[in-house]
Amino acid sequence: MLSFIGRSVIQKIITLFFVSIVSFLIIHLAPGKPSQVDPLNPKFTPEIVERFRKEFHLDKPLYVQYVYFYRDLFTGKTVSWKDNQSVLGKIWERFLNSLPLFIVGTIITWTLSFPIGIRSAIFRGRFYDRSATFFSYLLISIPGFFFAYILIILVVTRFHVPVIGMETFGLGDASGLRLVMDRVWHLLIPSVLGATGGIAILSRYVRSQMLEVEGQDYIRTARAKGVPEEQVHYRHALRNALLPFVTMFGLILPGLIGGSVIIESIFSWPGIGRMAYEAILARDYPIILTVNFISAVLVLAGTFVSDLLYLVVDPRIRL
Amino acid sequence: MTIRRVLIFAPTLLILFLVYSYFWVPTYEQQTRGNPDRLNEYIAASIGDASILNPILSADSASSDINSMVFEGLIDRDEELRFRGRLATSWEIYEEAFFYVNEGATIPGIGRAGAQKVAALIQRAKAGQFPANPELRASLDNISDISTISAGEFLVTRYEKKKQEDKEPEEVKIRVSAPARIKLVLNSVDQDLFENLSHILGKDYFSGFNGQAYLSVDDERWEEKRAAYADEILPATEHNPNVMFHLRPNVKFHDGHVFDSKDVKFTFEAIMNPKNLSPRIADYEPVKRVEVVDSLTVRIVYKRLYSPALGTWGMGILPEHLLNDEALKKEAVMLGKDIEKFAMRQSSFNRHPVGCGPFVFQEWKSDQYIILDRFGDYWEGPANYKQYTYRIVPDLLTQEMEFYAGTIDSYNVQPHQVERLRGDPKYQNFSGPSFGYTYIGYNMRREPFNDPRVRRALSMAIDVDKIIKYILYGQGERITGPFVKQTDYYNHGIKPVPYDPEGALKLLEEAGWRRDKEGWLEKDGKRFQFTLITNSGNDLRKAILAIAQDAWKQIGIDVRTDLLEWSVFIQERVDKADFDALILGWRMGIEPDLYQIWHSSQTNPYQLNFVGFKNRKADDLIIKIRQEYDHEGQAAFCHRLHEIIAREQPYTFLYVTKWTAVLDKRIVIQETDFQGNPVYKKITPTKTGNFTFYFNKWIKLPEMPSFSPEG
Repeated sequence: MLSFIGRSVIQKIITLFFVSIVSFLIIHLAPGKPSQVDPLNPKFTPEIVERFRKEFHLDKPLYVQYVYFYRDLFTGKTVSWKDNQSVLGKIWERFLNSLPLFIVGTIITWTLSFPIGIRSAIFRGRFYDRSATFFSYLLISIPGFFFAYILIILVVTRFHVPVIGMETFGLGDASGLRLVMDRVWHLLIPSVLGATGGIAILSRYVRSQMLEVEGQDYIRTARAKGVPEEQVHYRHALRNALLPFVTMFGLILPGLIGGSVIIESIFSWPGIGRMAYEAILARDYPIILTVNFISAVLVLAGTFVSDLLYLVVDPRIRL
Repeated sequence: MTIRRVLIFAPTLLILFLVYSYFWVPTYEQQTRGNPDRLNEYIAASIGDASILNPILSADSASSDINSMVFEGLIDRDEELRFRGRLATSWEIYEEAFFYVNEGATIPGIGRAGAQKVAALIQRAKAGQFPANPELRASLDNISDISTISAGEFLVTRYEKKKQEDKEPEEVKIRVSAPARIKLVLNSVDQDLFENLSHILGKDYFSGFNGQAYLSVDDERWEEKRAAYADEILPATEHNPNVMFHLRPNVKFHDGHVFDSKDVKFTFEAIMNPKNLSPRIADYEPVKRVEVVDSLTVRIVYKRLYSPALGTWGMGILPEHLLNDEALKKEAVMLGKDIEKFAMRQSSFNRHPVGCGPFVFQEWKSDQYIILDRFGDYWEGPANYKQYTYRIVPDLLTQEMEFYAGTIDSYNVQPHQVERLRGDPKYQNFSGPSFGYTYIGYNMRREPFNDPRVRRALSMAIDVDKIIKYILYGQGERITGPFVKQTDYYNHGIKPVPYDPEGALKLLEEAGWRRDKEGWLEKDGKRFQFTLITNSGNDLRKAILAIAQDAWKQIGIDVRTDLLEWSVFIQERVDKADFDALILGWRMGIEPDLYQIWHSSQTNPYQLNFVGFKNRKADDLIIKIRQEYDHEGQAAFCHRLHEIIAREQPYTFLYVTKWTAVLDKRIVIQETDFQGNPVYKKITPTKTGNFTFYFNKWIKLPEMPSFSPEG
């Protein structure tokens, strides 16, 4: 057990090292320059551009830049080129904004997928199952941004209420409860949108897992014993079907920082995905690289956690 | 079965709770009724967030939007785009001109002369003792004072690097024994002064002055640079335009500190300080020095003639007491940062600015909003709106939706969106020409674009009016040259190139292009073939790309098109001048300075005259425009330059877009009449196309007002 953890940590650190090099190279070798050294702004004389390059260490060879960047990152000194704010501070602030969206979205996804998927499995091949399948594939294939626009236009033109951003602007000194409910409302549409794709996919998984388990011998045994049908489904089948999903919990970890670029940009939600997206447009390397690095860490941590979860949940696995 | 119940109830409850929140959110009408204060708040939407709220450091439009409300400059432009005083009440522009006495030159009539004699000669000429042509007469009349500066010796130290790689520059000592100099004080700036004076002093008096003879370099290795040093240290003639600003008394910064001339000097020094990396340094490079005459008078002395310089004083003035070395040091110590490295760029001032503009900074949440409150002590009287909120909504469609929902008052409305609201009685809409144009540029270094007839023919083949009608929804105007259309610099006498494919074919035939059997144009067995490129991500340009391709195909030109990602487009194609023709746009300032885009010296790689336009007459005019301080004179030069560029057609000038705006009709201008009663007026854009010009007087009313017919 301990040796497994040790080995896995070392492997992941090595992977991380390569990820850091590759992502650094990709970003620096991609065409485009940070907006501060934008050559097409007539106000910028070559001297200023040169000075900015120096300031950002862009005049140094790539490997030196690499060392500088990760040295600053680990000492917490990296600052965004755009506004000189500390990168970690910015990420933390955005993370807190993305968090409610992520939590509500995840809760909606997980609470809705199971009842839908289980029911599909139980009524396999019937009308309910077929329509669930149809809608799942529909939701998977509709582009998220398109669906978002349709929903926004519908809500705004039919119900005349604001939906963009984290809160309604110009509310003034409304009561506390009102402000809270206002925020909940603003959470609703983006998180439902974020969840639709998840629900469609996850409920499919639940369905197929349930079907697989329902075909097992022990289910037949339970039925033969005369256990009521409902108990067969929910106690015997569901529990065993849940196994793979426990491990999926570990894998949603990276979603924490990746956020949702499209949903956040459309709803002007000041989250982490939108920040990363805008940083890419402005070629704000410190932000891009830091977000990239943190999400790499989270992906690796996620796989690690899901390995451990398997261990805990499935007594058959021993390391 | 509990599991089953939980599985069904949990999601149902969750959804019900979330949907229930709908009943707590106010609709458009409820917002103003439920919260009367909403009428006193103005919420503007922006695509991008500000980056740095410091006028001398910011370079993006969102930051300048906010900076223009928090900070105030010495001057700005009025409805007619003339300068008007803000923090300065008035200003005078005059000139100090210098020239070295050329002792070797023979002056007609008196021969070789020293300083006293030359000064006396000019004095006599001024008194009218010589015949003079009208230009010389005007120049002489303009002189208000003549004095001499006696010869003197001094030492100049320069730091030089022999090679680029050398780390430490070497010290070079230059011994100068300057000859006597004559100083002329002029009532107004006169770029032709020395040219005119040479009628009296002799044609070669100024050009014959040999500065090298008066200096010696101590180190022989630097002998080669002597000529350059002479030009720099002992220029034969020198124009020093002066601007004297008289500042407004009792103006306060938002923290109560009184504004004075030291703040102006400080702002200038902060821009010039290399530690601050100010992107505006180029604008102020021609400034020789800023002198504090007294607490309410500043004198700006320029090194040379540079007429766009006056406009640079619209720059927001920084509060010296919050940003001087002492304040920065204190902040660095407080934050535990390295004092040496801590500069204005690192200061928290950039996120909590203090200026003396009409609005006081309150709060900034990155990528969400910036809130400003009106400044009660604003020198022109406080604004009507109590609060100004700048919301960041990065998507155009959602901006529109938020506008419908009532949580923004204005947004970057696009022409097709205006079209949707045109008939709605709830909204008022405005439009006017903006400060930029879109064009097709031809690489004049390449065949066949080096022939003006070909360029003209290409322009004639494109129906620009149709582009404006169908792509811009009519929200655009034709443009014929590189100046801002609503200024006096634009030559309205020039007619746009007509849409005439037949005429185009005739012109091409003159240039040797004939149709072959398949209908393609051909010259010397070569087909007329080129690639038109533009950047991806701009739908307008993409549409023009297709239209131009089609239009040119119709007259038998084989055009390929290509869309490139912006940075590839700029770095690989534009910067290296590796293209046949491209579609791009320029955003212009009001100043008619075209040096960087049209002067022949700017045609090298990475410079902005990437089409390679070279015209001696145009070069002359560009320089003259730069040096002319008289508005009418400048406009006259501009008209001539406009004519040359329109004739040469280095670009096919397509159109200038119109800015568009939509507002709730309840937003009006509120003024107070002499009895103290409010008077309401409709918002109308100024002649130059700025509808927010009177923003400080705007207010939103609970009900739509009815105006008398003439109002």
